[in-house]
Amino acid sequence: MTDSFILGLSSGSACLVTCGMVMFPYLMAGSAGVKRIAIDLSLFLFTRFVIYFILATMAWYFGQAIFSNPLVRNFVPGILYIVFAVMLVWYSISNSRNPKCPAEIVKTVNDKRLVPIFLGVVNSLGFCPALFIILTKGATQGTLLQSYLAFLAFFVGSSLWFLPLPLAGQIQKKEVLKTVGILATGLAGIIFMIKGLTNLIGGIING
Amino acid sequence: MDNTLLSSSLNKSFGKSLLYTLPMFLITFMFMTGGRLNFSDPYSLLATLIAFLLVNILYFMMHYSGKTDRYRVVLFIIFAMSLSFTLIKNMIAIRSSMSFSQADVLECKIPFCHLVIPMMIIPAAFTKSIIFPGSILNGFANISSMVVLWLVATIVLGRGFCSWGCFYGGWDDGFSRIRKRPVIKHINEISRWMPFAVLFMVALTAALTLVPTYCDWICPFKTVTEFEQVTSLESASKAAIFISLFGGLVVVLPILTRKRTQCSFLCPLGAINSLSNKVTPFTVKVDREVCNECFKCVEVCPLYALSREDIRAGKVSIFCSKCGKCVDACTKNAIHYGIKGVPAGHLKNFSRNLFLFVSFLFLAIFSAGAIISSFQSLLKLVF
Repeated sequence: MTDSFILGLSSGSACLVTCGMVMFPYLMAGSAGVKRIAIDLSLFLFTRFVIYFILATMAWYFGQAIFSNPLVRNFVPGILYIVFAVMLVWYSISNSRNPKCPAEIVKTVNDKRLVPIFLGVVNSLGFCPALFIILTKGATQGTLLQSYLAFLAFFVGSSLWFLPLPLAGQIQKKEVLKTVGILATGLAGIIFMIKGLTNLIGGIING
Repeated sequence: MDNTLLSSSLNKSFGKSLLYTLPMFLITFMFMTGGRLNFSDPYSLLATLIAFLLVNILYFMMHYSGKTDRYRVVLFIIFAMSLSFTLIKNMIAIRSSMSFSQADVLECKIPFCHLVIPMMIIPAAFTKSIIFPGSILNGFANISSMVVLWLVATIVLGRGFCSWGCFYGGWDDGFSRIRKRPVIKHINEISRWMPFAVLFMVALTAALTLVPTYCDWICPFKTVTEFEQVTSLESASKAAIFISLFGGLVVVLPILTRKRTQCSFLCPLGAINSLSNKVTPFTVKVDREVCNECFKCVEVCPLYALSREDIRAGKVSIFCSKCGKCVDACTKNAIHYGIKGVPAGHLKNFSRNLFLFVSFLFLAIFSAGAIISSFQSLLKLVF
């Protein structure tokens, strides 16, 4: 669970600064104060939680289906970890990184009450390397409960950054926070790359 | 001619330099000898004398020549090499190997290193325990004395600790001076923030796992100190990682870039020390009135702490370790040691003298034990 939490926490920081500025005005739109913001934020987080719950279930059942073959089980997860971790590292160092947030799509939603739910869906399904890694982890867990726990740790890690979202406008060093967040995401990628390599070597040793 | 006069404004006459060296002479004598010379052991006596002379000659030369980094780096490199030599020698004498076993970990026999500090803070606050298998009060490099030393040094020097107090900085500082011209000249600007990302990750992983993850997996200086016995796939992976990092960030990249790349891109303690630059009274100032924007300072800065924008804005970044390389390189004496609150261009000599005394004292005191010990071993080996 620790590595899932770290993955969520490291990618969440970069996500907050990239997407937070898009989400912030919508989460605040029409709000009358802290209570309204808290309700909107809770809806947003609840939606993410539900989406991750569904993804954990799907990933695990999918994993059971494709990883039943011992040969596949020994090699494929390690390779997937390495591929997605390389993508995550590339995301952190690449200059051509797309700075646009998928959450910008909410501009098309007319009913403002639905915005937090819509944002939750878009944010959870914004297919980034970090999500691919956690999907791989969920798919390779021994039991469904373990898959849920991995996604829960990822959800908690990434959600922590959204809790102070109403204060996002006050953050002065946004660029520094974004830079450190992106670099930390790259480091999380390296952790999973090592995990993938050890899985792969372990798989080779075990035959 | 004008440049020569300006650059020589920091140097002093022979007599005046000697006078400035006198306090250092007395303090280092007391510190190295405890107030009396041990005539019963000629090796120890000779090693102490050589170390004492080395330290004081370097300090004297800083005043006499007006150059800082040129003499600082000599002691800094000798310090790093001596510490590794002494530590390895002791480890081999005690354990017959540079590696430590799980039994050594369980018995808390691992000498404490200041690089662990960033990982200790959160677990210590929440669990009231130290996540490092060392001794709190007893023995060589115990935890309490090392934390106090680092805390005092970092409050006084800020990130100056990285160039005047760090046990390992001399390694990549040394390698960064091998080539005359860099092969790699440019880096991505955001890389300067990497130590903060490393700090974030290691503090987090250490807090979650209650293991000093940086020491366990990453620290490149295990290559020149001590490391875990290779007994499994995991310990082999750790060894591969720290040896690769040492080769890459401490040896190869410093040679190719002429920069201290380990300190610039990896060290989590450097990130904390950068933040402490906000509280230290000493700083490096840019006198815009005399700066001719030649940007030699930017070119020579070993920690990517200076950019052209910084110089144009008349400031240095929080990454500055006050090594003095930019001060030495500036022909106009526009970049200089300063004291916070005093405007740039004022009290240049006073600020430098004060900073040099404090910072060099830290370096001399930190390095004395290791240098004497390694000189003693070398003397025994030769004679």
